[in-house]
Amino acid sequence: MQNILLKIKNLKVRCNGKEILKGINLQIKKGEIQILLGPNASGKSTLANVILGNPKYKVTEGKIIFRGKDITNLIPDKRVKLGLAMAWQSPPAIKGVKLSQLLKKISKEELNIPEGKELLEREVNLDFSGGERKISELLQILVLKPNLVIFDEIDSGLDIKKLERVARIIKEKLAEKKVSILLITHSGQILNFLKPQLANVMVNGKIICKAKNFKKVLETIKKYGYEKCKKCNLRSKK
Amino acid sequence: MVMKNAKNVISALKNKANFWQIDHKVKNIFSTEEITVLPSPKAWEKFNWTRKFFEEKPKEGYFVWVKKEVDFPLSTCITIASPKISQNLKNLLVIEKGIRAKANVVCNAKENNLYGIHKAKGKIILKEGAFLEYNHLHQWGQKDFVSPNYEFFLEKNSRLIYNYKNLLPPENLELKTTIHCSENSSLNLNFVINSLNSKVKVNDSVFLEGKNAQGIVRLRLLGREKSEIEAVSKMFAIAPSRGHLDCQGLLIEKTAKISLIPQLICQNKDSQITHEASLGKISEEELIYLRTRGLTEKEAIDLIVSGFLAI
Repeated sequence: MQNILLKIKNLKVRCNGKEILKGINLQIKKGEIQILLGPNASGKSTLANVILGNPKYKVTEGKIIFRGKDITNLIPDKRVKLGLAMAWQSPPAIKGVKLSQLLKKISKEELNIPEGKELLEREVNLDFSGGERKISELLQILVLKPNLVIFDEIDSGLDIKKLERVARIIKEKLAEKKVSILLITHSGQILNFLKPQLANVMVNGKIICKAKNFKKVLETIKKYGYEKCKKCNLRSKK
Repeated sequence: MVMKNAKNVISALKNKANFWQIDHKVKNIFSTEEITVLPSPKAWEKFNWTRKFFEEKPKEGYFVWVKKEVDFPLSTCITIASPKISQNLKNLLVIEKGIRAKANVVCNAKENNLYGIHKAKGKIILKEGAFLEYNHLHQWGQKDFVSPNYEFFLEKNSRLIYNYKNLLPPENLELKTTIHCSENSSLNLNFVINSLNSKVKVNDSVFLEGKNAQGIVRLRLLGREKSEIEAVSKMFAIAPSRGHLDCQGLLIEKTAKISLIPQLICQNKDSQITHEASLGKISEEELIYLRTRGLTEKEAIDLIVSGFLAI
Protein backbone atom coordinates (compact mmCIF):
# COMPACT_ATOMS: atom_id res chain seq x y z
CA MET A 1 0.00 0.00 0.00
CA GLN A 2 2.90 2.35 0.74
CA ASN A 3 3.96 1.89 -2.82
CA ILE A 4 0.90 3.83 -4.00
CA LEU A 5 1.82 7.46 -4.59
CA LEU A 6 -1.46 8.82 -5.96
CA LYS A 7 -4.89 7.39 -5.33
CA ILE A 8 -8.02 8.92 -6.80
CA LYS A 9 -11.30 7.54 -5.52
CA ASN A 10 -14.64 8.07 -7.27
CA LEU A 11 -13.79 11.66 -8.24
CA LYS A 12 -16.62 13.78 -9.55
CA VAL A 13 -15.95 17.31 -10.75
CA ARG A 14 -18.04 20.19 -12.05
CA CYS A 15 -17.07 23.36 -13.89
CA ASN A 16 -19.50 26.16 -14.79
CA GLY A 17 -22.41 24.01 -13.64
CA LYS A 18 -21.50 21.06 -15.87
CA GLU A 19 -20.29 17.70 -14.59
CA ILE A 20 -17.02 16.91 -16.35
CA LEU A 21 -15.54 14.06 -14.36
CA LYS A 22 -18.06 11.38 -13.48
CA GLY A 23 -16.40 9.09 -10.97
CA ILE A 24 -12.69 8.67 -11.71
CA ASN A 25 -10.65 5.94 -10.05
CA LEU A 26 -6.90 5.95 -10.59
CA GLN A 27 -3.83 4.69 -8.76
CA ILE A 28 -0.23 5.46 -9.61
CA LYS A 29 2.64 3.67 -7.90
CA LYS A 30 6.05 5.07 -7.13
CA GLY A 31 8.23 5.08 -10.24
CA GLU A 32 5.35 4.01 -12.47
CA ILE A 33 4.54 5.47 -15.87
CA GLN A 34 0.90 5.52 -16.93
CA ILE A 35 -0.78 7.04 -19.92
CA LEU A 36 -4.17 8.64 -20.17
CA LEU A 37 -5.69 8.54 -23.63
CA GLY A 38 -8.95 10.01 -24.74
CA PRO A 39 -10.72 12.11 -27.37
CA ASN A 40 -10.99 15.90 -27.18
CA ALA A 41 -13.11 17.18 -24.31
CA SER A 42 -13.20 13.82 -22.56
CA GLY A 43 -11.91 15.39 -19.33
CA LYS A 44 -8.18 14.53 -19.43
CA SER A 45 -6.90 18.07 -18.88
CA THR A 46 -9.61 18.65 -16.27
CA LEU A 47 -8.32 15.66 -14.32
CA ALA A 48 -4.76 17.04 -14.50
CA ASN A 49 -5.93 20.46 -13.29
CA VAL A 50 -8.00 18.97 -10.48
CA ILE A 51 -5.07 16.89 -9.26
CA LEU A 52 -3.01 20.11 -9.08
CA GLY A 53 -5.83 21.98 -7.34
CA ASN A 54 -6.99 24.49 -9.96
CA PRO A 55 -9.83 26.32 -8.12
CA LYS A 56 -11.76 26.70 -11.37
CA TYR A 57 -12.95 23.12 -10.93
CA LYS A 58 -15.18 22.02 -8.07
CA VAL A 59 -14.85 18.55 -6.61
CA THR A 60 -18.35 17.41 -5.72
CA GLU A 61 -17.54 13.86 -4.66
CA GLY A 62 -14.56 11.61 -4.11
CA LYS A 63 -11.03 11.99 -2.84
CA ILE A 64 -7.49 12.60 -4.02
CA ILE A 65 -4.84 10.99 -1.83
CA PHE A 66 -1.19 11.82 -2.49
CA ARG A 67 1.62 10.25 -0.47
CA GLY A 68 -1.00 9.04 2.00
CA LYS A 69 -2.44 12.50 2.55
CA ASP A 70 -5.90 13.66 1.54
CA ILE A 71 -5.17 16.64 -0.72
CA THR A 72 -8.68 17.06 -2.15
CA ASN A 73 -9.06 20.50 -0.57
CA LEU A 74 -5.41 21.56 -0.46
CA ILE A 75 -4.30 24.76 -2.21
CA PRO A 76 -2.14 24.28 -5.34
CA ASP A 77 1.18 25.52 -3.96
CA LYS A 78 0.98 23.11 -1.03
CA ARG A 79 0.34 20.22 -3.42
CA VAL A 80 3.44 21.23 -5.36
CA LYS A 81 5.45 21.34 -2.15
CA LEU A 82 4.29 17.77 -1.46
CA GLY A 83 5.84 16.71 -4.78
CA LEU A 84 3.16 17.11 -7.46
CA ALA A 85 3.89 18.89 -10.73
CA MET A 86 2.20 19.44 -14.05
CA ALA A 87 3.44 20.49 -17.47
CA TRP A 88 0.71 22.60 -19.01
CA GLN A 89 -0.63 21.93 -22.46
CA SER A 90 -1.05 25.64 -23.29
CA PRO A 91 0.78 27.63 -20.64
CA PRO A 92 0.06 31.37 -20.42
CA ALA A 93 2.72 34.03 -21.04
CA ILE A 94 4.00 35.95 -18.03
CA LYS A 95 4.96 39.29 -19.50
CA GLY A 96 8.07 40.98 -18.21
CA VAL A 97 9.26 37.91 -16.28
CA LYS A 98 12.25 36.09 -17.72
CA LEU A 99 12.27 32.31 -17.62
CA SER A 100 15.55 32.46 -15.66
CA GLN A 101 13.81 34.62 -13.01
CA LEU A 102 10.96 32.17 -12.68
CA LEU A 103 13.27 29.17 -12.47
CA LYS A 104 15.30 30.89 -9.77
CA LYS A 105 12.17 31.64 -7.81
CA ILE A 106 10.73 28.12 -7.91
CA SER A 107 13.82 25.94 -7.95
CA LYS A 108 14.94 23.72 -5.14
CA GLU A 109 18.39 23.46 -6.65
CA GLU A 110 20.31 24.78 -9.64
CA LEU A 111 19.32 23.37 -12.98
CA ASN A 112 22.08 21.52 -14.68
CA ILE A 113 20.99 20.49 -18.15
CA PRO A 114 22.16 21.93 -21.44
CA GLU A 115 18.63 22.19 -22.88
CA GLY A 116 16.74 25.43 -23.30
CA LYS A 117 19.56 27.86 -22.45
CA GLU A 118 18.41 30.05 -25.34
CA LEU A 119 15.07 30.54 -23.61
CA LEU A 120 16.35 31.66 -20.23
CA GLU A 121 16.56 35.38 -20.99
CA ARG A 122 13.21 35.50 -22.75
CA GLU A 123 9.90 36.36 -21.12
CA VAL A 124 8.08 33.23 -19.93
CA ASN A 125 6.12 31.69 -22.84
CA LEU A 126 5.88 35.02 -24.66
CA ASP A 127 6.08 34.35 -28.41
CA PHE A 128 7.49 30.90 -27.70
CA SER A 129 6.99 28.35 -30.45
CA GLY A 130 5.13 25.15 -29.56
CA GLY A 131 8.42 23.30 -29.08
CA GLU A 132 9.92 26.09 -26.97
CA ARG A 133 6.91 26.01 -24.65
CA LYS A 134 7.35 22.31 -24.07
CA ILE A 135 11.04 22.75 -23.24
CA SER A 136 10.19 25.65 -20.92
CA GLU A 137 7.58 23.51 -19.14
CA LEU A 138 10.04 20.70 -18.79
CA LEU A 139 12.73 22.95 -17.31
CA GLN A 140 10.26 24.24 -14.73
CA ILE A 141 9.21 20.69 -13.83
CA LEU A 142 12.81 19.56 -13.40
CA VAL A 143 13.76 22.30 -10.94
CA LEU A 144 10.74 21.44 -8.78
CA LYS A 145 12.19 17.95 -8.09
CA PRO A 146 8.73 16.33 -8.03
CA ASN A 147 7.64 12.80 -7.06
CA LEU A 148 4.88 12.71 -9.63
CA VAL A 149 4.55 14.65 -12.87
CA ILE A 150 1.51 15.00 -15.08
CA PHE A 151 2.43 15.84 -18.65
CA ASP A 152 -0.58 17.28 -20.44
CA GLU A 153 -0.03 16.67 -24.15
CA ILE A 154 3.72 17.21 -23.97
CA ASP A 155 4.00 15.57 -27.39
CA SER A 156 1.52 17.77 -29.24
CA GLY A 157 2.91 20.12 -31.87
CA LEU A 158 6.45 18.73 -31.70
CA ASP A 159 8.41 17.55 -34.70
CA ILE A 160 10.07 14.16 -34.41
CA LYS A 161 13.49 15.57 -33.42
CA LYS A 162 12.07 17.76 -30.67
CA LEU A 163 9.82 14.97 -29.47
CA GLU A 164 12.85 12.71 -29.18
CA ARG A 165 14.71 15.42 -27.27
CA VAL A 166 11.80 15.95 -24.86
CA ALA A 167 11.29 12.21 -24.36
CA ARG A 168 15.00 11.70 -23.69
CA ILE A 169 14.96 14.35 -20.94
CA ILE A 170 11.83 12.84 -19.36
CA LYS A 171 13.42 9.41 -19.43
CA GLU A 172 16.84 10.39 -18.09
CA LYS A 173 15.87 13.06 -15.59
CA LEU A 174 12.59 11.66 -14.31
CA ALA A 175 11.69 8.09 -15.24
CA GLU A 176 15.13 6.63 -14.51
CA LYS A 177 15.10 8.44 -11.17
CA LYS A 178 11.86 6.68 -10.19
CA VAL A 179 9.67 9.75 -10.55
CA SER A 180 6.10 8.66 -11.32
CA ILE A 181 4.62 9.97 -14.55
CA LEU A 182 1.11 10.36 -15.91
CA LEU A 183 1.30 11.10 -19.61
CA ILE A 184 -1.81 12.59 -21.13
CA THR A 185 -1.53 12.10 -24.82
CA HIS A 186 -3.78 12.45 -27.77
CA SER A 187 -1.66 10.96 -30.47
CA GLY A 188 0.44 8.55 -28.44
CA GLN A 189 3.54 9.63 -30.38
CA ILE A 190 5.66 9.90 -27.26
CA LEU A 191 5.09 6.20 -26.62
CA ASN A 192 7.71 5.42 -29.23
CA PHE A 193 10.21 6.62 -26.63
CA LEU A 194 8.60 5.96 -23.24
CA LYS A 195 7.07 2.70 -22.18
CA PRO A 196 4.13 2.95 -19.77
CA GLN A 197 3.14 0.17 -17.43
CA LEU A 198 -0.56 0.96 -17.73
CA ALA A 199 -2.80 2.64 -20.30
CA ASN A 200 -6.02 4.38 -19.25
CA VAL A 201 -8.68 5.46 -21.71
CA MET A 202 -11.03 8.24 -20.75
CA VAL A 203 -14.28 8.90 -22.60
CA ASN A 204 -16.91 11.36 -21.51
CA GLY A 205 -15.54 11.93 -18.01
CA LYS A 206 -14.99 8.26 -17.15
CA ILE A 207 -12.03 5.94 -17.41
CA ILE A 208 -13.52 3.16 -19.47
CA CYS A 209 -10.44 1.05 -20.01
CA LYS A 210 -7.29 0.14 -18.13
CA ALA A 211 -4.87 -2.18 -19.86
CA LYS A 212 -1.23 -3.15 -19.51
CA ASN A 213 -0.69 -3.64 -23.21
CA PHE A 214 -0.62 -0.02 -24.33
CA LYS A 215 0.33 -0.94 -27.90
CA LYS A 216 -2.84 -2.93 -28.34
CA VAL A 217 -4.87 -0.12 -26.81
CA LEU A 218 -3.41 2.30 -29.30
CA GLU A 219 -3.99 -0.09 -32.20
CA THR A 220 -7.59 -0.57 -31.14
CA ILE A 221 -8.18 3.17 -30.90
CA LYS A 222 -6.57 3.73 -34.29
CA LYS A 223 -8.67 1.02 -35.84
CA TYR A 224 -12.05 1.60 -34.24
CA GLY A 225 -11.90 5.03 -32.60
CA TYR A 226 -12.63 5.85 -28.96
CA GLU A 227 -16.35 5.17 -29.15
CA LYS A 228 -15.74 1.52 -29.75
CA CYS A 229 -13.35 1.28 -26.79
CA LYS A 230 -16.29 0.45 -24.58
CA LYS A 231 -16.90 -2.76 -26.46
CA CYS A 232 -13.25 -3.76 -26.65
CA ASN A 233 -12.17 -7.04 -25.01
CA LEU A 234 -8.87 -5.52 -23.78
CA ARG A 235 -10.77 -4.06 -20.85
CA SER A 236 -10.80 -7.34 -19.04
CA LYS A 237 -7.12 -8.10 -19.69
CA LYS A 238 -5.54 -6.15 -16.89
CA MET B 1 11.05 44.12 -0.35
CA VAL B 2 10.29 47.07 -2.66
CA MET B 3 10.68 49.45 0.28
CA LYS B 4 14.06 47.94 1.22
CA ASN B 5 15.33 48.08 -2.37
CA ALA B 6 14.10 51.64 -2.75
CA LYS B 7 15.91 52.70 0.42
CA ASN B 8 19.14 51.09 -0.75
CA VAL B 9 18.96 52.77 -4.15
CA ILE B 10 18.14 56.17 -2.71
CA SER B 11 20.75 56.04 0.01
CA ALA B 12 23.43 55.12 -2.54
CA LEU B 13 22.39 58.01 -4.77
CA LYS B 14 22.30 60.61 -1.99
CA ASN B 15 25.84 59.86 -0.95
CA LYS B 16 27.12 60.77 -4.38
CA ALA B 17 24.73 63.64 -5.11
CA ASN B 18 25.89 66.65 -7.13
CA PHE B 19 23.10 68.54 -5.46
CA TRP B 20 21.32 67.56 -2.24
CA GLN B 21 18.68 69.73 -0.63
CA ILE B 22 16.99 68.86 2.66
CA ASP B 23 13.79 70.80 3.38
CA HIS B 24 14.90 74.29 2.21
CA LYS B 25 18.59 73.94 2.95
CA VAL B 26 21.28 72.95 0.45
CA LYS B 27 23.25 70.21 2.15
CA ASN B 28 25.69 69.36 -0.58
CA ILE B 29 26.90 70.73 -3.90
CA PHE B 30 29.47 69.00 -6.02
CA SER B 31 30.65 70.85 -9.13
CA THR B 32 33.44 69.79 -11.44
CA GLU B 33 35.19 71.37 -14.37
CA GLU B 34 32.77 69.52 -16.63
CA ILE B 35 29.55 70.07 -14.69
CA THR B 36 28.45 73.34 -13.11
CA VAL B 37 26.04 72.86 -10.22
CA LEU B 38 24.44 75.82 -8.42
CA PRO B 39 21.33 76.58 -6.41
CA SER B 40 18.85 78.05 -8.89
CA PRO B 41 18.77 81.57 -7.27
CA LYS B 42 22.55 81.82 -7.75
CA ALA B 43 22.36 80.60 -11.35
CA TRP B 44 19.75 83.32 -12.02
CA GLU B 45 22.23 85.92 -10.81
CA LYS B 46 25.37 84.47 -12.37
CA PHE B 47 24.13 83.43 -15.83
CA ASN B 48 21.77 85.83 -17.54
CA TRP B 49 20.87 83.26 -20.17
CA THR B 50 19.18 81.07 -17.56
CA ARG B 51 16.52 83.73 -16.93
CA LYS B 52 14.50 82.87 -20.02
CA PHE B 53 14.18 79.33 -18.70
CA PHE B 54 13.43 80.19 -15.10
CA GLU B 55 10.95 82.92 -16.16
CA GLU B 56 11.03 84.44 -12.66
CA LYS B 57 13.68 84.54 -9.97
CA PRO B 58 13.64 81.16 -8.24
CA LYS B 59 13.67 80.80 -4.49
CA GLU B 60 15.06 77.29 -4.39
CA GLY B 61 16.01 74.42 -6.64
CA TYR B 62 19.02 73.39 -8.65
CA PHE B 63 20.82 74.37 -11.82
CA VAL B 64 22.97 71.72 -13.48
CA TRP B 65 24.93 72.53 -16.63
CA VAL B 66 26.74 69.64 -18.30
CA LYS B 67 29.40 71.15 -20.55
CA LYS B 68 31.67 68.18 -21.05
CA GLU B 69 31.17 64.48 -20.90
CA VAL B 70 31.86 62.68 -17.62
CA ASP B 71 32.13 58.99 -16.92
CA PHE B 72 29.87 59.07 -13.85
CA PRO B 73 26.13 59.75 -13.59
CA LEU B 74 25.17 63.17 -12.28
CA SER B 75 22.70 63.06 -9.46
CA THR B 76 20.38 65.30 -7.53
CA CYS B 77 18.36 64.65 -4.43
CA ILE B 78 15.57 66.68 -2.87
CA THR B 79 14.47 65.50 0.54
CA ILE B 80 11.72 66.46 2.95
CA ALA B 81 12.88 65.65 6.47
CA SER B 82 10.77 67.91 8.73
CA PRO B 83 6.99 68.10 9.26
CA LYS B 84 4.82 70.38 7.13
CA ILE B 85 7.56 71.61 4.83
CA SER B 86 6.42 73.21 1.59
CA GLN B 87 9.02 73.13 -1.14
CA ASN B 88 8.67 75.15 -4.30
CA LEU B 89 11.54 74.30 -6.57
CA LYS B 90 12.61 75.65 -9.91
CA ASN B 91 15.12 73.37 -11.57
CA LEU B 92 17.12 73.69 -14.77
CA LEU B 93 19.26 71.02 -16.40
CA VAL B 94 21.17 71.79 -19.58
CA ILE B 95 23.10 69.21 -21.59
CA GLU B 96 25.42 70.80 -24.09
CA LYS B 97 25.78 69.88 -27.76
CA GLY B 98 26.77 66.30 -28.48
CA ILE B 99 27.24 65.39 -24.80
CA ARG B 100 26.08 62.04 -23.46
CA ALA B 101 24.90 62.09 -19.88
CA LYS B 102 23.03 60.08 -17.32
CA ALA B 103 21.11 61.72 -14.49
CA ASN B 104 19.73 60.08 -11.39
CA VAL B 105 17.12 62.37 -9.88
CA VAL B 106 15.67 61.49 -6.49
CA CYS B 107 12.87 63.19 -4.58
CA ASN B 108 11.88 61.68 -1.26
CA ALA B 109 10.51 62.09 2.24
CA LYS B 110 12.55 60.86 5.16
CA GLU B 111 9.55 59.81 7.22
CA ASN B 112 6.12 58.50 6.42
CA ASN B 113 3.89 61.13 8.10
CA LEU B 114 5.49 64.53 7.49
CA TYR B 115 2.57 66.11 5.60
CA GLY B 116 5.05 67.68 3.20
CA ILE B 117 4.38 69.59 0.00
CA HIS B 118 6.82 69.19 -2.85
CA LYS B 119 6.21 71.32 -5.91
CA ALA B 120 8.82 71.31 -8.63
CA LYS B 121 8.88 73.10 -11.92
CA GLY B 122 11.74 72.16 -14.14
CA LYS B 123 13.16 72.55 -17.59
CA ILE B 124 15.55 70.11 -19.18
CA ILE B 125 17.34 71.18 -22.32
CA LEU B 126 19.07 68.69 -24.60
CA LYS B 127 21.09 70.63 -27.09
CA GLU B 128 21.82 69.42 -30.61
CA GLY B 129 23.00 65.80 -30.68
CA ALA B 130 22.93 65.41 -26.90
CA PHE B 131 21.87 62.20 -25.19
CA LEU B 132 20.35 61.95 -21.75
CA GLU B 133 19.19 59.00 -19.70
CA TYR B 134 17.07 60.60 -17.01
CA ASN B 135 16.13 58.31 -14.14
CA HIS B 136 13.60 59.97 -11.89
CA LEU B 137 12.79 58.19 -8.61
CA HIS B 138 10.14 59.16 -6.11
CA GLN B 139 9.76 57.83 -2.60
CA TRP B 140 7.21 59.64 -0.48
CA GLY B 141 5.38 59.40 2.78
CA GLN B 142 1.70 58.53 2.90
CA LYS B 143 0.56 62.06 3.70
CA ASP B 144 2.60 64.08 1.21
CA PHE B 145 1.39 66.20 -1.68
CA VAL B 146 3.67 66.08 -4.68
CA SER B 147 3.41 68.03 -7.88
CA PRO B 148 6.25 67.92 -10.39
CA ASN B 149 5.86 69.78 -13.66
CA TYR B 150 8.72 69.16 -16.04
CA GLU B 151 9.25 70.37 -19.57
CA PHE B 152 11.85 68.81 -21.86
CA PHE B 153 13.24 70.40 -25.00
CA LEU B 154 14.92 67.98 -27.38
CA GLU B 155 16.93 69.88 -29.96
CA LYS B 156 17.88 68.50 -33.36
CA ASN B 157 19.33 64.93 -33.32
CA SER B 158 19.13 64.65 -29.55
CA ARG B 159 17.85 61.64 -27.65
CA LEU B 160 16.12 61.27 -24.32
CA ILE B 161 15.35 58.19 -22.29
CA TYR B 162 13.17 59.23 -19.38
CA ASN B 163 12.43 56.60 -16.74
CA TYR B 164 10.12 57.64 -13.93
CA LYS B 165 9.43 55.30 -11.04
CA ASN B 166 7.20 56.02 -8.16
CA LEU B 167 8.54 53.53 -5.60
CA LEU B 168 6.44 54.72 -2.68
CA PRO B 169 3.47 56.90 -3.59
CA PRO B 170 2.34 60.02 -1.71
CA GLU B 171 -1.27 60.73 -0.80
CA ASN B 172 -1.56 63.07 -3.77
CA LEU B 173 0.57 63.05 -6.87
CA GLU B 174 0.10 65.35 -9.82
CA LEU B 175 2.69 64.55 -12.41
CA LYS B 176 2.78 66.78 -15.45
CA THR B 177 5.28 66.24 -18.23
CA THR B 178 5.66 68.05 -21.53
CA ILE B 179 8.18 67.06 -24.15
CA HIS B 180 9.06 68.96 -27.31
CA CYS B 181 10.85 66.92 -29.96
CA SER B 182 12.73 68.70 -32.74
CA GLU B 183 14.03 67.34 -36.04
CA ASN B 184 15.46 63.81 -35.86
CA SER B 185 15.22 63.74 -32.11
CA SER B 186 13.97 60.69 -30.31
CA LEU B 187 12.20 60.04 -27.03
CA ASN B 188 11.58 56.97 -24.91
CA LEU B 189 9.42 57.76 -21.94
CA ASN B 190 8.75 55.01 -19.40
CA PHE B 191 6.50 55.83 -16.47
CA VAL B 192 5.82 53.38 -13.65
CA ILE B 193 3.06 54.77 -11.46
CA ASN B 194 2.37 53.03 -8.21
CA SER B 195 -0.52 53.94 -5.92
CA LEU B 196 -1.59 53.03 -2.41
CA ASN B 197 -4.24 55.08 -0.58
CA SER B 198 -3.38 57.71 -3.17
CA LYS B 199 -4.89 60.05 -5.67
CA VAL B 200 -2.71 60.25 -8.72
CA LYS B 201 -3.04 62.43 -11.77
CA VAL B 202 -0.69 61.83 -14.66
CA ASN B 203 -0.68 64.19 -17.56
CA ASP B 204 1.93 63.80 -20.25
CA SER B 205 2.08 65.50 -23.64
CA VAL B 206 4.58 64.81 -26.38
CA PHE B 207 4.90 67.27 -29.26
CA LEU B 208 6.58 65.80 -32.33
CA GLU B 209 7.50 69.17 -33.79
CA GLY B 210 10.45 68.40 -36.05
CA LYS B 211 10.76 66.30 -39.18
CA ASN B 212 11.50 62.61 -38.39
CA ALA B 213 11.05 63.09 -34.68
CA GLN B 214 10.18 59.87 -32.88
CA GLY B 215 8.45 59.31 -29.58
CA ILE B 216 7.51 56.23 -27.63
CA VAL B 217 5.58 56.56 -24.38
CA ARG B 218 5.01 53.62 -22.06
CA LEU B 219 2.77 54.06 -19.05
CA ARG B 220 2.30 51.37 -16.43
CA LEU B 221 -0.32 52.19 -13.83
CA LEU B 222 -0.68 50.07 -10.74
CA GLY B 223 -3.86 50.48 -8.70
CA ARG B 224 -3.41 49.23 -5.18
CA GLU B 225 -5.65 49.59 -2.14
CA LYS B 226 -7.98 52.62 -2.01
CA SER B 227 -6.24 54.43 -4.81
CA GLU B 228 -7.46 56.42 -7.76
CA ILE B 229 -5.38 57.07 -10.84
CA GLU B 230 -6.33 59.37 -13.69
CA ALA B 231 -3.96 59.38 -16.61
CA VAL B 232 -4.11 61.42 -19.79
CA SER B 233 -1.40 60.70 -22.29
CA LYS B 234 -1.31 62.84 -25.42
CA MET B 235 0.82 62.71 -28.51
CA PHE B 236 0.78 65.47 -31.10
CA ALA B 237 2.23 64.83 -34.56
CA ILE B 238 2.90 68.29 -35.92
CA ALA B 239 5.72 67.50 -38.37
CA PRO B 240 6.22 64.29 -40.41
CA SER B 241 7.06 62.04 -37.50
CA ARG B 242 6.31 58.76 -35.79
CA GLY B 243 5.01 58.04 -32.33
CA HIS B 244 3.44 55.38 -30.18
CA LEU B 245 1.59 55.36 -26.87
CA ASP B 246 1.53 52.14 -24.86
CA CYS B 247 -0.61 52.58 -21.76
CA GLN B 248 -1.51 49.74 -19.45
CA GLY B 249 -3.11 49.63 -16.06
CA LEU B 250 -3.40 46.80 -13.58
CA LEU B 251 -5.90 46.81 -10.73
CA ILE B 252 -4.60 44.82 -7.80
CA GLU B 253 -7.35 45.58 -5.29
CA LYS B 254 -11.11 45.92 -5.56
CA THR B 255 -10.92 49.39 -3.99
CA ALA B 256 -8.67 50.78 -6.74
CA LYS B 257 -9.83 52.83 -9.71
CA ILE B 258 -7.97 53.75 -12.86
CA SER B 259 -9.08 56.01 -15.65
CA LEU B 260 -6.91 56.23 -18.71
CA ILE B 261 -7.20 58.42 -21.78
CA PRO B 262 -4.64 57.96 -24.53
CA GLN B 263 -5.03 60.71 -27.09
CA LEU B 264 -3.51 61.02 -30.55
CA ILE B 265 -3.59 64.33 -32.35
CA CYS B 266 -2.30 64.22 -35.90
CA GLN B 267 -1.74 67.48 -37.71
CA ASN B 268 0.47 66.20 -40.49
CA LYS B 269 -0.53 63.73 -43.18
CA ASP B 270 2.98 62.29 -43.42
CA SER B 271 3.15 61.24 -39.82
CA GLN B 272 2.08 58.05 -38.13
CA ILE B 273 1.06 57.80 -34.52
CA THR B 274 -0.47 54.77 -32.87
CA HIS B 275 -1.58 53.62 -29.46
CA GLU B 276 -2.46 50.56 -27.45
CA ALA B 277 -4.18 50.73 -24.11
CA SER B 278 -5.57 48.27 -21.63
CA LEU B 279 -6.87 48.22 -18.08
CA GLY B 280 -7.59 45.07 -16.16
CA LYS B 281 -7.00 42.77 -13.28
CA ILE B 282 -4.42 40.03 -12.87
CA SER B 283 -5.19 37.09 -15.10
CA GLU B 284 -6.56 34.11 -13.16
CA GLU B 285 -4.83 31.77 -15.56
CA GLU B 286 -1.41 33.35 -14.96
CA LEU B 287 -2.03 33.23 -11.23
CA ILE B 288 -2.94 29.55 -11.16
CA TYR B 289 -0.06 28.75 -13.52
CA LEU B 290 2.44 30.21 -11.08
CA ARG B 291 0.72 28.56 -8.13
CA THR B 292 1.14 25.19 -9.85
CA ARG B 293 4.82 26.04 -9.74
CA GLY B 294 4.68 26.17 -5.96
CA LEU B 295 4.35 29.94 -5.47
CA THR B 296 1.87 31.20 -2.89
CA GLU B 297 -0.87 33.54 -4.09
CA LYS B 298 1.06 36.56 -2.80
CA GLU B 299 4.33 35.44 -4.38
CA ALA B 300 2.56 34.84 -7.69
CA ILE B 301 0.91 38.29 -7.63
CA ASP B 302 4.23 39.96 -6.76
CA LEU B 303 5.95 38.22 -9.67
CA ILE B 304 3.21 39.14 -12.16
CA VAL B 305 3.28 42.76 -10.95
CA SER B 306 7.07 42.94 -11.19
CA GLY B 307 6.81 41.70 -14.77
CA PHE B 308 4.07 44.21 -15.57
CA LEU B 309 6.24 47.05 -14.29
CA ALA B 310 9.39 45.88 -16.07
CA ILE B 311 9.56 48.35 -18.94
